[in-house]
Amino acid sequence: MTEQPIPRLVEAYVGEYASGKSEIAINRALELTRQGRQVTLVDLDTVEPFYTLRSLKEKLESFGINMICLSAKDAFGLGETGAMLNPKARWALRHEGDIILDIGYGVYGARTLNLVEGANESDELKVMLVINYSRPMTNSRERIKEYINSFDRIDFIVANTHLGDQTTAEIIIEGNQEILAVANELSLPVAYMAADINFAAELQKHQFLVPVKFINRYMPEAIWS
Amino acid sequence: MVAPATPKSWYLPSKPHKFCPGCGHGIVLKALGETIDELDIQDKTIFGCDIGCSLLSWDFLACDSTQTHHGRTTPVMVGIKRARPQLITIGYMGDGGGYSIGSQHLLNAAVRNEKVTLILVNNTNYGMTGGQMAPTTLPGQKTETTPYGRDPEKTGYPTKGPEFLSELTPDGAYVARATVSKYKQLRRFLRNALRNQIEGNGFSFLEVLSTCPTNWRTNAQQTWHFLEDEMEQFFTVGEFKTPFGKGDK
Amino acid sequence: MQKVIGETKKAFLTGNEAIAWGCLAAEADMMFGYPITPQNEIMHYWTRLAPKYGKEFLQTEDEISAGFTVCGAIQSGIKAFTATAGPGNVLMQEPFGMAEGMRLPFFAIIQQRGGPSSGTVIYSQQEVSLTCYGGNGEGHRIVYSTATHQELYDYTIKGFNTAWKYRFPTYLLGDGYQAKMREPLEMYEPSERGIDIIKPYPLLGLEGHIGTDREPQHLRNIYSMEEELYDVVLKNDADYNSVRQEITEYSEFNCENAEVIIISHGVVSRAAEDAVKVLRAQGIKAGSFRPITLRPFPREQLLAVLEKSNAKKLLITESALGQLERIVKYEIYGQTLPIETLFMPGVGIIDYDIIQKIKSII
Repeated sequence: MTEQPIPRLVEAYVGEYASGKSEIAINRALELTRQGRQVTLVDLDTVEPFYTLRSLKEKLESFGINMICLSAKDAFGLGETGAMLNPKARWALRHEGDIILDIGYGVYGARTLNLVEGANESDELKVMLVINYSRPMTNSRERIKEYINSFDRIDFIVANTHLGDQTTAEIIIEGNQEILAVANELSLPVAYMAADINFAAELQKHQFLVPVKFINRYMPEAIWS
Repeated sequence: MVAPATPKSWYLPSKPHKFCPGCGHGIVLKALGETIDELDIQDKTIFGCDIGCSLLSWDFLACDSTQTHHGRTTPVMVGIKRARPQLITIGYMGDGGGYSIGSQHLLNAAVRNEKVTLILVNNTNYGMTGGQMAPTTLPGQKTETTPYGRDPEKTGYPTKGPEFLSELTPDGAYVARATVSKYKQLRRFLRNALRNQIEGNGFSFLEVLSTCPTNWRTNAQQTWHFLEDEMEQFFTVGEFKTPFGKGDK
Repeated sequence: MQKVIGETKKAFLTGNEAIAWGCLAAEADMMFGYPITPQNEIMHYWTRLAPKYGKEFLQTEDEISAGFTVCGAIQSGIKAFTATAGPGNVLMQEPFGMAEGMRLPFFAIIQQRGGPSSGTVIYSQQEVSLTCYGGNGEGHRIVYSTATHQELYDYTIKGFNTAWKYRFPTYLLGDGYQAKMREPLEMYEPSERGIDIIKPYPLLGLEGHIGTDREPQHLRNIYSMEEELYDVVLKNDADYNSVRQEITEYSEFNCENAEVIIISHGVVSRAAEDAVKVLRAQGIKAGSFRPITLRPFPREQLLAVLEKSNAKKLLITESALGQLERIVKYEIYGQTLPIETLFMPGVGIIDYDIIQKIKSII
């Protein structure tokens, strides 16, 4: 099926180091692919060389996603290789279909979008800020507010509270509630709440004010490749 | 498919290269390749690269090359030149490899007028390791280790290499600063730098102002602006010392 | 002192971050450092947090400078530290030597990467010899090899205290995987756990008027006669031996009736313990011994464990080509148990690797 319903989606996932951006970006790309949409997933992580989409390139391509990233063997193994960018990333928006961008962390935050031609002028682009309440830099309302204010532009919040292997439904619910409260205060819409699919049963019992998306974890494979 | 014209001294199997889109290294290495071709020194050129983005040039040229350690490109080139003076040694490094960890070697090679040619690509940050502060980072510039902007009170002002090197070197040395935004001048300065070694006059050093849109997080327009308007406020382009007649500043 | 952590919180962190927060909790004052993968995020986080907590930072021109600036800062009575890896670790051996000779309370974090030379930026356990014994002469060091993020936090706090209490250069020996992986851990104020943070004290720039209140301090590391050096070396050795047992740490898992014992350290010990669980379930009597302090090595404890077990074979496994093995063999000299090895220099070792190896040697 190649007919693309209008409008297409262009989402840039930004957030703190280890907030879960890449995981969310992958799951979002897969979700859209399963709906029969054409999706391109772009790796713009230029600071952290280890936990990127590179090692998952082949796997994600096998699911039908168009990947723009260097593959691990092109990038790894060259001594200090970290900040390397696939030139195709520059022209990511020229691809047809949906574009999901994984923006790495770094002192410039969303300014990384300058590297994508036409990103700032695009009226399709949505900047999605991923927040994990278990991260020290965003573990209180004050800190979350300060963090949000450090960005020039945020269109949506994605609440992604988890504690890795020690996550519980309580931790997810309580953490995300705090995030929602801050978003409310700042009049920022929350696009959705993300949670590990293993918590689907427990979380489905609750009523949430925002959509909940259940995600599978792909990134743990990424570091051991 | 029609391949673009490339210098004979470029190593084609390693192309397309891995430098980021908008990176100045591609321009410098093209100018270098063309100059090596023009001077016909491919067979006796030894190319040394440092750690950092310059590392990506380890298999870039079709010349005998060696990767070294961070900041140690200069002494390795000196060792080669001292052992076999007929070889043309070209050391290629970034602002960290030259002005930070490699500064003592650079300084001493200059004082001794070592007959090597060193090319230092200045993009005001440590690109490959994720964008930390470099000796050439501008005041107020944000980097991963100056997240609130470089404070010159605490960390000094940008290092001006050709300025101090031209003072330290004896006669016969060639010291200049070029920029990727002026290609013809870059070619001319590279030619002079290598001529200086070929003729056995002395030390030759060329800093090249270059771009790093990836770590600067700038689009094309902002990138050129930073290079031409901001960087050139601190880093003067021109020849600081040359045995070849009037230098042009 | 301003409370950094506040109430104990469970948090999801990368290893380098956990160390940066641990340094704050340990009341470190100042970091000197130079970029090298994979420890950069320790600097990135320290520089972001520093202004909020009144801390200082300097990116030096290289690792030699980072090491010596830390030496100087420590001599003047400030809790300074640094972090490095690979070739940076090699460069720092010179300032570490000054710290050994002068008994400076120097704490540093090493995130091992592949070697020799630039090797890889990723991971290894190939800096064991260098970190434990890298100086010229027989300096004394304390080296903690961590395996979890909780330990990265805990042993950062402990490392500072150990250095400032005993005045031997002290190291947290991590690796690139620990630096980058993400795990939950509990961050706490040390005082909440009954841990007293040792306050720094100056060796130079002391209080009081010279001549009337005190003598000038003359520190040195060089001696005119062989015998002077001999006395200093032996005295330091005696000091070190007198506190060995207080400092030594290890853990063992299922060694009681084990027929084969796996010896490993750091993250590899996690794989070893997982392997033991699987092997035991399959009826193979395996056990695991993990030195936590590689130096001082838990020699007496290992010998006791071997004594009480039924061990007929030992398997030493590490992501290096025999660095742990060399230490173990030295420490248990006289033991006649056959020793097998599983070396994977610069490569991660998982339980499967160890299980296969064990099955091939029993």
